[in-house]
Parts: sequence; structure tokens; C-alpha cells
Amino acid sequence: MARGRTPTYQVANSNKKRYPDNVMAYVMIAPIVIMLGIFVIYPAIQATVLSFYDWSFYEESEFVGVKNFTDVLTDPKFRASILLGLQFVAMTLPIQLIGAFLFASLATAVNRRFADVLKVSIYIPTIISGVITSVIFTIIYDYSGGILNAVLGSLDLPGQAWLGDPKLALAAIAAPAVWLGMGLTCLIMIAGMLDIPASFYESADVEGANWWQKTIYITIPQLKNVLLYLIITGFVASIQQFELPLIMTSGGPMSSTELPNLFIFNHFRGDPYVGYSIAAALLLFVVLGSVSALIFRVLNSEKLVD
Amino acid sequence: MTQNATLTPPTSGGLAPDTDTPRRRPRRWLAGTLKAIAGMFFVVLALFPLAWMVIAGFKTKTEVVRTPFQFFPEVWNTENYTQILADPVFLRSLGVTALGAVLFTLLSLTVNSMAAYAFARLEFQLKRTLWVVVITTMFIPGMTILLTSFIMVTKLQMLDTLAVLVLPGAAAAIHVFFIRQFYLNVPRSLEEAALIDGCGRWGVYLRIFLPMSKAPFVVVGVTSFLTFWNSYVWPIMTITSPELYQIQQYLAAFRSERSSELGMLMAGSALAAAPVVLVFLVFQRQIIANIKMAGLK
Repeated sequence: MARGRTPTYQVANSNKKRYPDNVMAYVMIAPIVIMLGIFVIYPAIQATVLSFYDWSFYEESEFVGVKNFTDVLTDPKFRASILLGLQFVAMTLPIQLIGAFLFASLATAVNRRFADVLKVSIYIPTIISGVITSVIFTIIYDYSGGILNAVLGSLDLPGQAWLGDPKLALAAIAAPAVWLGMGLTCLIMIAGMLDIPASFYESADVEGANWWQKTIYITIPQLKNVLLYLIITGFVASIQQFELPLIMTSGGPMSSTELPNLFIFNHFRGDPYVGYSIAAALLLFVVLGSVSALIFRVLNSEKLVD
Repeated sequence: MTQNATLTPPTSGGLAPDTDTPRRRPRRWLAGTLKAIAGMFFVVLALFPLAWMVIAGFKTKTEVVRTPFQFFPEVWNTENYTQILADPVFLRSLGVTALGAVLFTLLSLTVNSMAAYAFARLEFQLKRTLWVVVITTMFIPGMTILLTSFIMVTKLQMLDTLAVLVLPGAAAAIHVFFIRQFYLNVPRSLEEAALIDGCGRWGVYLRIFLPMSKAPFVVVGVTSFLTFWNSYVWPIMTITSPELYQIQQYLAAFRSERSSELGMLMAGSALAAAPVVLVFLVFQRQIIANIKMAGLK
């Protein structure tokens, strides 16, 4: 891998010598660069530019400076959606992590065939679409015929309008979100646990440690990186959830499920001046995008750039 | 789940030729049973909603949400399944989605693996710059560019075509990254031997790297297929003609327009989920084996 500066005494065609594959390489990466350029990079640049304009499909645009950004930051509705997003994360992430931890502890303690069955089953929900999940859970939450109220009824408790009650709706959407997101978290957790050297547990066994002690003193400290990774990627993924509320409640009742991305999406569709929505999306991107980029950098610091 | 290593002499006379001590045997049996119960609990939790969807497809339209709640239908009738399959729009949207998903997957594998090969194995002038540019696109959330991408495909007059579904997402930095990690580990000597034998760079890529790429291709291919099959927001923004309806779009529209036909909706959802479950089950071994923490080690 030729790196470093070209020494000045080299002949004029040094580039050809240093990079014999130039033409070939550009041919091979042209498709991806062109496609990313058209569908990702240019739209990203355009989004940045538009966020400083009062732009709509129908009128001349007008430069408004940082007005869109100040509008977003001072909008109580946007702040409310961010708070809702944090609430949603608090409802999903701990359950996901603890559930995945228990699941992984189990899957690494049973025989291989059973472990395979467990892994396949837990991953199947992950491949189901948001639309289908919404359809299933809407019927589970049905007021009169849903299974959830049937269970409550059998305990002599009153039925709830799960998706219709502003106090319950967000939690009602958190459940399918956990169901969908559990698979990947579990498999990553299992991979992390399998990486812990068995000798650690053997010596703990010799000293008579029980399961709880082994978990506290060996498993969790050894999983530190994996847990950190899962917390951050889980946070970023969870706060960006919007397909489930979009289909199940469209953000209602009374905006109680209007998570940040859904807020932005609804704004896109409702407001002909998109500068505001784009500014909001950019603000989220700056925060969440840089968080994930940072994590990626730390985890891949050696692999990121040759 | 403690296992005390109490050493008592093995007793003879048991029928089973096992070396367990009498004290340990019930404990191990207990732990095993607890594990089995816990495992069943997770399996049921994961699969119940799907089982319920399939079963609800066999119920009549009022039976799906009838009080008192009933898990199984009174009479198993296949009417919902046959009726939804008789709906030409449903069948066509399944077909169009399948066609799009296959094209999308093939395009994604081609474009991303070529770039992965170039970034893993070739030396070229702008390599570092372009690599950083490509990787950076990984961190741009879809929502940020949703509207400007829409403006872009409108300008390109791609609305309401198959191209608007297939082209925009096919190039993906995360896939390039994943395949490249795999290519970096292919021994250089293989490649050098081929180059000395007069095989060009294309030859190396086509005859050496592609045949070896089964593992990363399964992961990237299945992921691409699932992404396409399950996408909903992009199709509802860009597709309006029923001839190109995507399956998720069809289901969501069915849900809001024919909300009383719950049995048919469940049957349709089950049929729409079946292909992805099948694809996953066929490749599950490779998929699961490949879900490791990319770069965590």
C-alpha cells in the first residue's frame, strides 16, 4: 500500500507507476459514486441549502438565514416531540437490553440445537415489516375483541383503549417496537457473551461463585463495549422510529405518539414551506448522525481509513 | 442456576448409565426444566403475534375481533386466503414487489461489491478521499434527505416508475463496508498468482473474488431483499398508480379502506410476510453467523 508523499525526484509518470489501477478503480467505483451522488450526497447538500430558505414547490424561494432553525428550536411542538422521543427510548431500550441479556444468558447455557431454535425464533420478528406489525398489533389492541383486553377482562380489570388513550398510546407502540428490534440486540449480545473466555467462568466456579456473582463480576464488565454499542445504536434507532406510529396512530391521539421523525414527516406533508421541516431534520441529523459517526470511528478507528 | 460440584461417590444400580450423583441429578433436571420453560417463553413471545396473524386469516371477518376473545376460529375456513389471492391488485403488487426486490438485490450486490473490491484491493489517486465520502453517507439519516430525494426523483421524472423504487437505495455504504471487510481478508497471493498468469483486474474480480463472496453476498443480498420488500414510506411518496403498488403500500391502503375485512387483511399480511420468512429461514445460518459486532473486537 503506497502511501506518503511522492519524492520530488520521481519522474513525470510517477502517478502511473504508483497507481497502475487508476482507470480500473474508477470504472469500478463509478456506479456507487454516481448513485450516492444523485440520491444521497446531492440531496444532503440541497437539504442544507434549503434549510436557509423559505422554499416551496410552488413559489420563488427566499433566503431567510437561520430563521428556520430558530423557529424549530423555539417551537414547543418540536420540543414536545423530542421529549416524547426520549420517553419512547426510556420505554424501549431498557426492556430490550435486559431482555436481550436474559435471552443471551439462556441461549449460551443450553445445548446447541435448542440455542439454534432460540436464535432463529427471536430473529424472525425483525424481518417482518412495520406495516404488518402495525396491522397485527392494532388488532391485539382492539378494544372489544383484542387479546389484551380479554386478558384484563379475565382478571376482572376494565378494558383499555390502548391506542386511543393519550396516556397509553406511546407504550402501546413501544411494545411492537421492542418486538421488532429484539432480534438483532439478542444476537449481538450472544456474540459478545461467546467471546468471553470460558476460563474466567471456570476459575469463578472453582471459587464457588454463583450465577449472580458471575454475572456481576465477569459477564457485565466483559460486555462493557458491547453494551455501550447496543445502548448507543439502540438509542439512535429508537428515537428515530416513526413508521409504527405513522401507521398505527398517525401521531395521535392528541399528538401523544408524534415522535420527532413523525413530527417532521407530518410537517413535510402538511406545510408547503419545507424549510422548517428540513431544518428540523438537519438538527436531528447533526446530533444523531454525529453520535453514530463518533461511535463508528471509535470502534473502527483502525479499519475506517487504511 | 448454581451447580455445586459436590463430590459423592457414584451409585450403581441406576438403569441409566450416567455418572451423575444422586444429589446432582434432580438439580440438573430442575435447571434443565427451568431453561426449557424460559426458552419456550421467549419463543412464544416472539412467534405469538405471527401465529395469531396466520390463524386470524382463517376466521370470518367478525370473528377476528369478537368478544369474548377466541384464539382459534370456530370453523377453519380458507375463504380469506382464496379471496385475497383472487384480488388482482394484491397479486400484482406481490409480483411487482418481488420483481423490484430481485432487481434491487442484484443491483445492490453488483454496485456495492465492485466498489468494495476497488476500495479493498486497488490503489488509486483519490482512494482515501472517496472512501471517506462514501463512508460519510452512512450517517445521513433517511429523514434528513427524504424530501430533497423526492425533489430529485421528481426532477428526473422517475415518479411512478419501477426505477424510483430500485435505484435510490441500491448503493449503500454499509454494504460496501461489509463486503470490503471480507475482501481485505482474501490472501494477496491468490490475486498475485492470477495477475502473473495474465488475468486482468476484471478477471481477478470475476473469477476469484466473486466466487468466494458467497458469505457476504448472502448477508447483503438478504438484507437488500428484506429492505425492499418491507419498505413503505418511499413507495407511498413516489408510487401512485395501482399497477406499481408495493405490497406494504397495498396492505396499508387495504387497512384504511376496507377496515371491516379484518380476516382478509390478516390473510393478506400472512401471505405478504411468507416470502421474507422463507428467505430468512433458507439463509438463517449464514445470517445469524454473520451478525457479530462489526469492528467491536
